[in-house]
Amino acid sequence: MSVQPRPSLRQRLVNGLALIALLSLGVVWPPLFAQISDPRDAQAGSLFLVSDADAAPVEALRQSTQIRARVTGNVARVHVTQTFENPGDQWVEGLYVFPLSASAAVDELEMLVGERRIRGEIRRKEEARATYEQAKSEGRRASLVTQERPNMFTTSVANIAPRASITIDIAYLDTIPFRDGRYTLNLPLSITPRYTPGATEESTPVATPERVTSAVQTAQIEVELVAGFPLASVTSVNHDVAINVTRNARLISLKRPTAPADRDFELVWKPAVTPDTQASAFAERSGDDTYVLITLMPPQMYAARVYRREVIFIIDTSGSMSGPSIEQAREALQLGVQRLAPGDWFNIIRFSNDASSLFPVSQPAVGGNRTSASGFIGRLTANGGTEMRSALEMAFAMPPAEEALRQIVFITDGSVSNEAELVSLIRKNSGAARLFTVGIGAAPNAWFMREAAAAGRGSYLFVPQIEQVRERMQDLFRKLENPALVDLELHWPDGASPTLAAALPGDVYAGDPLVVAARLGSVPKGMLTLTGRSGGAAWVRQLPITLVGEQAGIAKLWARERIGDLARKKNLGADASEVESQVVDIALAHHLVSDYTSLVAVDVTPIRAAGLENSSQQVPTSAPRGSYWAPSTGFAPTATPAPMLAVAGISALALALGLLLSGGGGRKPALPEERLADKPARALPLRLQR
Amino acid sequence: MTKPRLACALIAALIGVACELQAGWIHLKAFVAQQLIVVAWERVRRGEVDARPWPWADAAAVGRLTILTGPPAADSSTLLAPSGTFAPASRQKAWVVLEGSSGRNLAFAPSHDSATVLPGEKGNSVISAHRDTHFRVLETLRVGDRLQVERADGRLALFEVNDVSVVDSRRVRIVLDHDAPRLTLVTCYPFDAIQPGGPLRFVVTADAIAGAGLTPPQRVARRGGVHL
Repeated sequence: MSVQPRPSLRQRLVNGLALIALLSLGVVWPPLFAQISDPRDAQAGSLFLVSDADAAPVEALRQSTQIRARVTGNVARVHVTQTFENPGDQWVEGLYVFPLSASAAVDELEMLVGERRIRGEIRRKEEARATYEQAKSEGRRASLVTQERPNMFTTSVANIAPRASITIDIAYLDTIPFRDGRYTLNLPLSITPRYTPGATEESTPVATPERVTSAVQTAQIEVELVAGFPLASVTSVNHDVAINVTRNARLISLKRPTAPADRDFELVWKPAVTPDTQASAFAERSGDDTYVLITLMPPQMYAARVYRREVIFIIDTSGSMSGPSIEQAREALQLGVQRLAPGDWFNIIRFSNDASSLFPVSQPAVGGNRTSASGFIGRLTANGGTEMRSALEMAFAMPPAEEALRQIVFITDGSVSNEAELVSLIRKNSGAARLFTVGIGAAPNAWFMREAAAAGRGSYLFVPQIEQVRERMQDLFRKLENPALVDLELHWPDGASPTLAAALPGDVYAGDPLVVAARLGSVPKGMLTLTGRSGGAAWVRQLPITLVGEQAGIAKLWARERIGDLARKKNLGADASEVESQVVDIALAHHLVSDYTSLVAVDVTPIRAAGLENSSQQVPTSAPRGSYWAPSTGFAPTATPAPMLAVAGISALALALGLLLSGGGGRKPALPEERLADKPARALPLRLQR
Repeated sequence: MTKPRLACALIAALIGVACELQAGWIHLKAFVAQQLIVVAWERVRRGEVDARPWPWADAAAVGRLTILTGPPAADSSTLLAPSGTFAPASRQKAWVVLEGSSGRNLAFAPSHDSATVLPGEKGNSVISAHRDTHFRVLETLRVGDRLQVERADGRLALFEVNDVSVVDSRRVRIVLDHDAPRLTLVTCYPFDAIQPGGPLRFVVTADAIAGAGLTPPQRVARRGGVHL
């Protein structure tokens, strides 16, 4: 009994198979770890580009972004979390220039220090800067968020300890317009470097702070979408996303954990049933005031066109349009020319360092002219500066075609630093003409597109990728051919004396929502009446005003609009100091970042000893994909899961075989041992060998 | 044999078979799709307007890439056969390349990075393929081997390999600016790793052979390549 039974043949077979299964993993696995010592050593001359601008990419300050957006109805609350990681041995101050939605109302900053969250406060810009600088010199952690341009912000983070990180959380409120039958949440991730034009008599060039490289910054993105109505579709235009449907929300996240920050994130959703005319007026009490937000979808009317059109296309052929952008622009332009009706007139102006036009004056849209336009468009290449002013002046100076409505279609990425000056130029000179903007590329300057269109009493659209050119241009043609609502007026119930955030637009186009924010003393009693003309006939719409809970964000949205409108007035020549004091009052009251106010968060305890240096580093912002600033490409994933599946399959089969073979012992446990005892023949071959 | 044990064995066997089928499917798809694409390519070359490899195919073909390994000829002038193509080499391998290196295209054929120029144009043209299927053969490429791309417009571009390296895709990007035509072939590395998604890439860089620029166009093709 005490003798150990020798393992049976079957048992040994099983053990052998198990060993093979394990070995097969081991045999094929090692190459994974047998990487060459340092892949960077294998770089050959100029073939590759170190993906970080600094010579020592490992040592440079790193920044990673996480964006969490919660969309409720047509308002989005977005948290942008930026983590600055210092891998070096020195104390560092981090700077990062980043884009945000052009209509974002930035109202919150939190700095995360260990378990503590330090809330940022809104201050006048110079005051906030002084507070930050003082904390920085005293060795305390501090962070500052300032607005550089309407949709470009800078984060400064002081005293990041060696091999440590600081995380800050910036939050903003944004409206999601329902345009052209779809809702769009746009999260800009990259900045097309702005071109600073040469000095003119009227203006001095404005330098912009962005430092853009082809660095591959990444972002994590999560969106919680509570639409409030059944949806027909939810799509992400530029990124692969996974969508989880819960009971009353959709959770959207990137398929890959992070996305390269080289193009805007654009989420589009469409309602299952598109209402013909959608209108609402919501009121919110805040302090002693009432804020009202009115949204209206204009009626979709297709009146027969009675006027002739003269369409002047302006196309940006500057260096920033190179790559996929110019292809999109060319295709959009070809479509625009094709769509002209026989009685229409047209011309094309291209510009980069200089501007030139296809014809000296507009020509009828007939065969020969169309053919030469097509050839002209085909020969356009993107190169040089972005001197928009000369192109716009050329368009405004062109003698008008007789008895025709002039429409200017401006196709550009808007990457200029003098955008405010250009918007003023459009407002002053457009006269009876209407200006429409077509924003091209992975990261267009959305603020410019919207403001220029508003100044030119037209509309705007964005074409992020070549695939969308056709669909989105259709939206534009609909607007070009049918101004939906004109002579719009808003009548309040008796006794109400509202302050509108911005003046009512002159024309409202098919597919464009009208959004009006107003401030009043008390909740108005009665109905709100909108009147106008549509398709030549009078149009009236009455709206009840619904009171919603506090903190719905209407007050903040009003304040953001109001600040934007004051900035417009300043650009048109209003007294600068007057505008500044008004903006500061509104921004401080509503806790908003603006041209004159910043958010600053400071820790109480100093952490950096007095003698140690604190150097400054700016983390580069990613340039848009395929642009002139990123003349490099990444690597596609070029491995299939086939080998892994094969190995997993072999292992599973070996396991199955092992189970089957060893399983025989289960039914007759005694048998193998008996056999062993009975058969000393196993030793026979050994004997023979002897 | 006990029932639970038998059940476990069956489940394991099923998983094993499913994995093997899946792995086989990847290889089969890569092989069969490429053959069908080559047939469609030949039909387009013969003048058919809408030759699709399979009825629902919607990819565009950039050209045919041929790898020629073996002893190169003594000088570049004798590299070319009278027809304008390379003189036959000891070993050849050819694929039709699709436009856009999406995962779907890569499953069928080597794919051209849309952000880069067409092979033979001034600048760097990048073609990627899976290391397990089409570009397994890159392992054998050496400096001096020749590459030929017959483009959709009928023009031929000829290149010679002058660098083979392994890089970390997390740290570097491929430079696209170059004063002359350049062709870069990319696949994953190591070739026999099991897990997909590793950071290393095997990169073959080939430059246009001096004096053997693009041959004149054979015929006019539509913009953007041949639509299969």
